[in-house]
Amino acid sequence: MKVFAPFRALAALTLLALASASFAAPAAEAPIDFNREIRPILSDNCFSCHGFDAKKRKADLRLDTPEGAYAVKDGVAAIQPGDPKASALLQRALSKDPDEVMPPPDSHKKLTPAQIETLRRWIAQGAPYRKHWSFEPPVKAAVPAFPNLSPIDAFLRAELSRHGLHPASEARKESLLRRVTLDLTGLPPTPAEVDAFVADTSPEAYGRVVDRLLESVRFGEHMARYWLDAARYADTHGLHLDNERSMWPYRDWVVRAFNQNLPFDQFTLWQLAGDLLPNPTQDQRIASGFNRCNVTTSEGGSISNELLFRYAVDRTETTFGVWMGLTAGCAVCHDHKFDPITTKDFYSVYSFFYSAADPAMDGNTALTPPVLQLSTPEQEAQLKSMDQAIAAQKKLLSEGLSKLVYNDPATLTPPPPVEKGEAVWFEDAFPENAKVEYSGAPTTWITAEQGPVHSGQRALRRKAEGLAQDFFTHGAALEVPANGQISVWCHLDPSDLPKAVMLQFHVGNWNHRAVWGDEKSIPLGSTGKPDKVVLGPLPAAGKWVELKFPADRVGLKPGMKVDGFAFTQYDGTVVWDSLVMRHQFDPAKDPGWSWAAWIKKKQGSLVKELPGALQTLLRNKKAEQWTEAETKKLKDWWLENEYAGAGESVLLPKAEKIRLEAQRAALADSIPKTLVMADLPQPRQAYVMQRGQYDKPGEEVSRRTPEVFPPLPAKENYNRVDLAQWLLSPENPLTSRVIVNRFWQQFFGTGLVKSVNDFGAQGDSPSHPELLDWLAVTFREQGWDIKQLVRSMVTSAAYRQSAAVTPEPLAKDPENRLLARGPRFRLDAEVIRDSALFISGLLSPKVGGVGVRPYQPDNIWEPVGFSGSNTARYTRGTKEALYRRSLYTFWKRTAPPPAMTTFDAPSRESSCLRRERSNTPLQALVLLNDIQHVEAARHFAQRILREGGRSDAERITFAWRCAVGRTPAAPEAATVLEALEKHRSRFQTTPADASQLITFGESKPAADIPAPELAAWTLTANLLLNLDEALNP
Amino acid sequence: MDPLLEHQLLLNRRQFFGNAGLRVGGVALAGLLARDASAKAGGNVHPGLPEFPHLPQKAKRLIYLHMNGAPSQLDLWDYKPQLKQHFDKDLPDSIRNGQRITTMTAGQARFPVAPSLFQFAQHGQCGRWVSELLPYTSQVVDELAVLKSVSTTAINHDPACTFVMTGSEIPGKPSIGSWISYGLGSLNDDLPSFVVLTPRSAGGQALFTRMWSSGFLPSKHTGVALRSAGDPVLFIQNPPGVTNSDRRVMLDALAKLNAAQHQDLADPEILTRTAQYEMAFRMQSSVPELVDLSHESKATLDLYGKDATDPGTFAHSALLARRLIERGVRAVQILHRGWDQHNNLPKDIARQCEQTDQACAALILDLKMRGLLEDTLVVWGGEFGRTVYSQGTLSQTNYGRDHHPRCFTMWMAGAGVKPGISYGETDDFSYNVTQDPVHLSELNATILHLMGVDHKRFTFKFQGLDQRLTGVEERRVIHEILA
Repeated sequence: MKVFAPFRALAALTLLALASASFAAPAAEAPIDFNREIRPILSDNCFSCHGFDAKKRKADLRLDTPEGAYAVKDGVAAIQPGDPKASALLQRALSKDPDEVMPPPDSHKKLTPAQIETLRRWIAQGAPYRKHWSFEPPVKAAVPAFPNLSPIDAFLRAELSRHGLHPASEARKESLLRRVTLDLTGLPPTPAEVDAFVADTSPEAYGRVVDRLLESVRFGEHMARYWLDAARYADTHGLHLDNERSMWPYRDWVVRAFNQNLPFDQFTLWQLAGDLLPNPTQDQRIASGFNRCNVTTSEGGSISNELLFRYAVDRTETTFGVWMGLTAGCAVCHDHKFDPITTKDFYSVYSFFYSAADPAMDGNTALTPPVLQLSTPEQEAQLKSMDQAIAAQKKLLSEGLSKLVYNDPATLTPPPPVEKGEAVWFEDAFPENAKVEYSGAPTTWITAEQGPVHSGQRALRRKAEGLAQDFFTHGAALEVPANGQISVWCHLDPSDLPKAVMLQFHVGNWNHRAVWGDEKSIPLGSTGKPDKVVLGPLPAAGKWVELKFPADRVGLKPGMKVDGFAFTQYDGTVVWDSLVMRHQFDPAKDPGWSWAAWIKKKQGSLVKELPGALQTLLRNKKAEQWTEAETKKLKDWWLENEYAGAGESVLLPKAEKIRLEAQRAALADSIPKTLVMADLPQPRQAYVMQRGQYDKPGEEVSRRTPEVFPPLPAKENYNRVDLAQWLLSPENPLTSRVIVNRFWQQFFGTGLVKSVNDFGAQGDSPSHPELLDWLAVTFREQGWDIKQLVRSMVTSAAYRQSAAVTPEPLAKDPENRLLARGPRFRLDAEVIRDSALFISGLLSPKVGGVGVRPYQPDNIWEPVGFSGSNTARYTRGTKEALYRRSLYTFWKRTAPPPAMTTFDAPSRESSCLRRERSNTPLQALVLLNDIQHVEAARHFAQRILREGGRSDAERITFAWRCAVGRTPAAPEAATVLEALEKHRSRFQTTPADASQLITFGESKPAADIPAPELAAWTLTANLLLNLDEALNP
Repeated sequence: MDPLLEHQLLLNRRQFFGNAGLRVGGVALAGLLARDASAKAGGNVHPGLPEFPHLPQKAKRLIYLHMNGAPSQLDLWDYKPQLKQHFDKDLPDSIRNGQRITTMTAGQARFPVAPSLFQFAQHGQCGRWVSELLPYTSQVVDELAVLKSVSTTAINHDPACTFVMTGSEIPGKPSIGSWISYGLGSLNDDLPSFVVLTPRSAGGQALFTRMWSSGFLPSKHTGVALRSAGDPVLFIQNPPGVTNSDRRVMLDALAKLNAAQHQDLADPEILTRTAQYEMAFRMQSSVPELVDLSHESKATLDLYGKDATDPGTFAHSALLARRLIERGVRAVQILHRGWDQHNNLPKDIARQCEQTDQACAALILDLKMRGLLEDTLVVWGGEFGRTVYSQGTLSQTNYGRDHHPRCFTMWMAGAGVKPGISYGETDDFSYNVTQDPVHLSELNATILHLMGVDHKRFTFKFQGLDQRLTGVEERRVIHEILA
């Protein structure tokens, strides 16, 4: 093994070669900046064996500290400050001997001559070490003296001058307005806004525009989108079944926070520790959902400890990444090789999250606890009054029970007679006084002349597309008898079959549904519970079929008052007739009347309705062995819950209680809830997990921050509040730098530190260190004011420059890091879609709410979906849902919307701080052929024809201005006109094609525009929305 | 494409490249022209990395047949005749050795041994033992290198599937096809370089797009999942009423307008965008041509079996895989679900084999007949194996098997692989590897090696690390299985 050992006998020849080759540089030279010039070389080539990670360290040599590098062993030092010749490091770097040379050949790393020369100069200058730049607190440097320049521009200008470059001129006003409007709101400006800005020649014109945009509600939506990438926000759990989760109130809070300009320190504190603040507000608790956005699973067979470990690791890594720009993930398994983060440091931060109260298995439910119910004050009051009403009924019930005298009919001689009866609930009419309603076409009655009637004078017939129903609520109350059997007659048209038919009852809510046929076509209730019971296949068609079932199956209990029922169908033509409630029972043998009969029937079986202890008793212990107290408890439960002969004083309050409870549940269900963070009452002890294995706990750790940084203030017990405050403290060298850098990336395309997610030794050095620090300190000093920070960036001269590429800066600075021209980069996925909708006039302005399901091709979810998942099938929304901002699109992690991912949106499985910007043929296919873009183009065409003037020329100018914000040059307009004319003559000769094109999409085309004309303009509009300039402002 | 239009397009292109030359800096232009020139030579719209391949390239292309859910090695490949004597006896503690098992069976009072119900016989010149469940594959065993000692780290599907496709249990890493596309580039101009097929099956575990995602690599290397229902490539069809010549009119105007924009701004990305629109236009022809099987001979269709022409079946996907390879697609991944037999294994695995066996064998034969097997590598396997003990009730005719990451069987065939061999051994219970272990990351290292890539040198800097498909641990290439 080749190691960097103190060197043996180095050939004199080599030394000679060294001396002549590279040690002859002049003495007077610019001082080397360790962090910028030396650390990256050492980090890339040396630290993996001679760095911070003690376990992997070779030859007991470390080069990441001066002590290690200067140490003399066997008379030799790796670095002898001031004396390159005596420094083994340099000799080994220059060696030609494969056993000597460093880095060793099998590392596949090699130092360039230029790097070796830099190392030599640095050693000659005394080999000074400095802490990695980003671990030293930022210091506000003096702003370079450039009169009339903002501090940002002054720093940039100084650097440009050093490279002999000059800033570009200001962008055209139209381009500038488009750039800033897209960057601040994610939407383009309207032609009217362009006109107003161009007309406003005052020096404040631009500042006023920026102020207007910062106040727009679109600002918060657009800013939120970036943050949600970092927060790994999505609407599903992300693993295995990937079921839906209710997280959207958190997303809406992020929008709100940006719009209200919540200072970034509060923004941070609430998200990391909102739940732990004194008397937290609703928003503070919602914000704590940041730490509930991680992926979770409920896969059978998973090991809880592993999952709890993983969730805490994810939260730790995300926190390190989002606020400190550090890639702490390495330290899960071993001491970080390049940055001074030990595994112990990692697990000490991890222990802040390891006591989170959410379970290992998410239960595949939308509301994995802990959750927060977001009720309004009115809803709060309603719930309270319902609780009171329920309590009152409970009281009546217990009074009734206390007076109840029970004699088991099984013990009577002679036994009581068998009872039977029937009540007609529906025949020729809904119950008297009922308020009859419908959805779909109006309610239709038919007589025997008009169609099948089973009994009486008439029957109810409905022809439906999709879900439709006839129903009533209120005005009648039908009592449910003991042992009730429901019977209804149904006649299906064999030539027009429904997918399913359903009978539905209302007692407090509608959660009593009996379904025949394809239950999937009924998107209500959860299958298997009384709120949706599938009783069989679709009845035979072409004849009258009686559908019978026990009332109990759909949760209708004796004494309940039914105050509504509905005849429902999906598609097809269905006739309903005669709904009857019958009952019959033999009190001596019926488990609803005889306690002895009930015991006999239920003994040994699992009765889910029973409370836990009684459930076990009934199941596992023979009745003969019950104690008196046990028998009494169970019998009391039976009398209260099962006994059908208890009389009005028990049955009425019981039924009323059930009705009220159902009503309360319906209200509670309608109130949004969101996953929030909370800690367990007793913290879990965290350990260093050896080699990152969940089942290998090592040393115990307690909550603290990494040792390389200033410590937490001394205190007894730390929690996430302390962690958040530590991130925000002036001593923390990273947070403010990391945040301003990401905003910079947002507006300039690339961060001042390009590796926005890595401020460690392996990350990129800042292009403008003084500017970064100046921004970081200023941001903190000015109260973490986000809008002010954003304003300072977008009003800089650098931001306002023209983006045109000129040869000299392109050669010197191909990536435009020095900003000798304005920023120009492809719009993000959401902005591209939203802009197309906005320009076409289709975009809905609605803010917030549960995720919507716009157009998506078939078979995106289905092929990947687990058959039992509630997101296995995609059901597209309609109307407004198709045209909401992309921020509100329902995000399924295992199959995110293809129109988004094609444009580099991340899957949201883990935190993402920088998106790719690819350029692929699949993107072209989306913009050319995706139904939502074609429909948008058609609506844009309608706008052009209605608002764009009368001539083709006027209209082309209008369209061009809408699409890219400026007036077209003459050759551009001519090219568009040529295409338009070709399309026009083509569609005039084949109008059928035109009709097809303009009816693509849910919305109807304008009736007053001839199809060929609209089609020709649709393709022209599509052309404009595909311009490179439309995608790259 | 209409030849007249094609000519016109070429002229347009020359025009704007020519004009651009006056304005773009020399370096950028040289790059553009070079790209354009090599594209015409065929297959370099997306070139590979410089210095690639590192090594002599045995395999130019990869077909990866992923049997999702984990097929039972005990019932297909890993023949253990002596297990009959252990029927319903407890798995010896000395074998299990306290190793973890999933919580689905951890609570079981017993771990009764379930010998395979299926007959094994020796096949081919090599005399390989193969189960009666694979009557077709057993006919091509002389082409296969059967690896019986593969292991992985994860014990549940989600992390294990993520691992088998990306070399990591943590979501967010690039899949093997993306790595290959990124490193070696594309071999054709008309189709994506990495294509994924997800044939249907009876239910099964979920698939995740992360299994073919490019992770932190540029997103153009994400696998393009050809769909079995609807359009094979998303948005490949013109909207109703729009023809290719309408598109041509539009794209010509677009190219002209973008060229003007380029004159103004000189940003080379503008030209790339135009080129990608042209590629999209070509795909609109090449993709329908790809899925049009009308020119396949009856003999070929018969080889793949009765499902060959039924989109969405495994047989159809296998045939498409060959057509994709023929057309210069670099990596094809077929993910077939439904191999997770926790119970009713005998019945369900028979169904799975019926769906796949004939087509797997057909693919090998078909590639061989066309001379494609020489430089195409085919890999078959699941994300882990299954336990020798029964999950749930064991009877004479029925049993189930739980997840087992400690050993399972995969096979490889084609370019550079030693044909007709078996590698690695397991103990009498197919529970532990006893000889020549192969970790999945070593398998990946071997795949890369065959494709001319040194896995240690194939890195991408992300999150401060030189990321590799084979992870940070020391992994070796399995030279013993190389021809």
